[in-house]
Amino acid sequence: MEVEDALRMMRDPLGAPFYPRVFQVLLLLTWVVHIYFVTVAVGSSVTTIYGFRRGDERWLRLARSCARLTPSGVGLGIVTGIAPLLFVQVIYDPIWYASNALTGFWSVIFIIVVASGYTCAYVFYLKGSADGRLLWSSVLGLALLVLAGWIMHVLASVSIRPEHWREWYAPNGVADTRGIEFHSFNVARVAFLLPLQAAIGTAVTGLIYTWYRLKRDDADREYLTWVAGLSRRLGIIASVLYGGVGIAWAVTEGADYDLTAPMAIALGGVGLAMAAFFAAHRDPVGIGRRALGAWFASLAVVAVIREVIRATALSRFNYDVGSYPYRVDWGSVAMFTVTTIVGVSIITYMVMVLFQSGIGAGERIPRSIDRLGRVSTAMLGAWFAFFLLVGVYAVVAL
Amino acid sequence: MFVAIIASFHVIASHLTVGAAWFNFYVERRAVREQRPELYEYLRKSALGLLVFSYVWGAMTGVGIWQSTTAGNPRGISTLIHNFVLFWGSEWYMFLIDVVGIIVYYYTLGKVDPKTHLRLALILALGGTGTLSLIVGILGFKLSPGDWLHNGEILSGFYNPTFWPQYLMRFLLMQTITGAWGVLMASRLPRDFPERQKVIRWAGTIGLVGMAGALLVGRYWYWANVPARSKALLSTNAFPAVTVDLLIGGGILTAAFLLLASWKPQLQSKLGAMALFIVMFSTVFGAERTREILRKPDVVNGYMSSNQLTFTGLPARGIESEEAKLNRDGVLGSLPFLPAADDIDSGPSPEYTDHRVAVGRQIAIFECSGCHSVSDQTVIHLGDNQLALRQQSALLRKISANDEVSIRAILDNLGAYPFMHAFVGTDEEKDALAAYLAATVEEQQGPPRRCRRPR
Repeated sequence: MEVEDALRMMRDPLGAPFYPRVFQVLLLLTWVVHIYFVTVAVGSSVTTIYGFRRGDERWLRLARSCARLTPSGVGLGIVTGIAPLLFVQVIYDPIWYASNALTGFWSVIFIIVVASGYTCAYVFYLKGSADGRLLWSSVLGLALLVLAGWIMHVLASVSIRPEHWREWYAPNGVADTRGIEFHSFNVARVAFLLPLQAAIGTAVTGLIYTWYRLKRDDADREYLTWVAGLSRRLGIIASVLYGGVGIAWAVTEGADYDLTAPMAIALGGVGLAMAAFFAAHRDPVGIGRRALGAWFASLAVVAVIREVIRATALSRFNYDVGSYPYRVDWGSVAMFTVTTIVGVSIITYMVMVLFQSGIGAGERIPRSIDRLGRVSTAMLGAWFAFFLLVGVYAVVAL
Repeated sequence: MFVAIIASFHVIASHLTVGAAWFNFYVERRAVREQRPELYEYLRKSALGLLVFSYVWGAMTGVGIWQSTTAGNPRGISTLIHNFVLFWGSEWYMFLIDVVGIIVYYYTLGKVDPKTHLRLALILALGGTGTLSLIVGILGFKLSPGDWLHNGEILSGFYNPTFWPQYLMRFLLMQTITGAWGVLMASRLPRDFPERQKVIRWAGTIGLVGMAGALLVGRYWYWANVPARSKALLSTNAFPAVTVDLLIGGGILTAAFLLLASWKPQLQSKLGAMALFIVMFSTVFGAERTREILRKPDVVNGYMSSNQLTFTGLPARGIESEEAKLNRDGVLGSLPFLPAADDIDSGPSPEYTDHRVAVGRQIAIFECSGCHSVSDQTVIHLGDNQLALRQQSALLRKISANDEVSIRAILDNLGAYPFMHAFVGTDEEKDALAAYLAATVEEQQGPPRRCRRPR
């Protein structure tokens, strides 16, 4: 069977419940948020270990903050990872399922790896971050998180090479159902997406931390200025490397799909732009929000590049997201839209409360935030009425 | 088995997030209304425990179920995704509310005014219940797709016949898990802590009430909506006796523990509550296995079988039955990852030198591996011991089917078993499968034992 026929047959006969291009956009947007938290978890973990090894007071203080950040980063990385995992299965089901089956062993133990990494990070935060005991737990946690990142990289890499699936599935003509081999990988790509993005993400988070903590009346300005300066230096160095390794990615994997030039320009450009951003702000203390904006814009470019690679790889076999069969299901669309409005309102409210609490203003929450809380909580309550009414409609009218 | 183990963790963790959020809201409301700040000590312990264990582990094991089912049965999970992606997307928002919520809830304890914090508790409880609402429809669909099988409407599949009773039953069951959690958290407080016994008594009572309610709803509403064919499966040997023991024994132990907690709260200890969680894990494992068995031999009852083929089709969505075509043309060469018979090598391994056996192995992997261990590659070796789940060669040996002829006769009648579908493919493919199975029986189980002649 030809690859093109196989890809067409492997698409789910039910089709998508809405326009497939919309799922593609949602895939890109949610991946950006997901990769931010994942890389912050890895970067904060490295900072924790380095800080405790350095041992001086400022580094220890920073390392303790990072030890607290790592498990939260992992938790948020997992939760935000659910959305892209959903959307990729809608429009890229043939390649996602094939790569998971071909890498079955690692796919199945993936969550054990992540859960163990999370547990190690939490054990260190709860039991070791006060005095640096159990640092091995943090090191082990980092190793496991990196392994999890590697597994995801291999899954992505296998998925865009359908021309090799047959030989990987049945080497020498005998099917191998273990799924234990790492069939495909690209070192430049994984170095770009994991350690270097972790370094820049951590630098940006350091600047956000500085900006936020300075709002407190009892802020330690000297320490926070040191954190901001450190983040800036890390940002400059990591961004230059980021651009360089991005070009290496373009030259290696990009060449497989005739994408070397556009990838090199985009990825090298992103690295240079981020380096220029950090370098231009000689006084980095108050630039947290701008840094976060610049970083999210860069991640969006990377998300588009990843998507272009995938689309180009599959276009060789006439697989195109735009032609994915669909049938608009308005019931599902209504449910998603209403829940999006309610969810965004509630999350905005909760983050604002956390923000106020963190700057020491928790006892006097501004009236506008309180009003948002009242309204969004009422909306959440009303959501249940909507949910049940849709159910009654489904049972009675369909 | 692996999916059931992860799913059991997930059920405990995720159900706990919902029930415990309501219990914490109840406790916090009393703390605010009756001005009893000492109750916040309980809330702090509970929130940290939930943050570390329940919410994040709930999320991770949820993704774990996804990953493992994706590797094990991709077309099954694909059916769910392509029907319910926007419901799942909605659940994701509720889940974000949960996870962001518990972080905000824990880190703002004592740092924001009590009214605002009580609102956060309510948001957590509502958000958790939202996740429950949205996942129950998807879970119920697999067992009872209802009108979806006729009209193909996603809403009909979501609000399926077991949706409503399962929704209520799970909500009540959550209170049982929460009762155990409440006892565990309160028993970590010092014995002379003023509110310790009171919280344990509340938790025990709520857990008992939830359990009684869940049993009633389960027996008289949920069970009435389970498809008759699924009910019949429980009286076959697909439903192992040990599962019944787990369910009944675990239920009795849980009820006894909760009764003791509400009757003699001063006797409760951390160790006892932790032991109860192990008991509940076993019980939930039994329940998850039962849920799997009830669907046999399908992934989506009445639509897709465990070998991932749509056997009935769905005319309302323009989907044809795959089985009819494959019975005519054969499975080999007709499906991705299933090479034509001529393209299958017997390979370097000595046991597959016979081409027919090599072909049969490929068919066994496709048709049987959804439920059975079909080759040495799917056996887990632990030292000299091996773990092979529903190993075909062992099952065949058990019924003395040792050669091609007897195995072929069994394949001819597969559809007669209530927990199996008929073989899909041509007669030649069936012959090849019989040849492979006969070879594995001999290879894995050794030569058949003969009865001794009586002297």
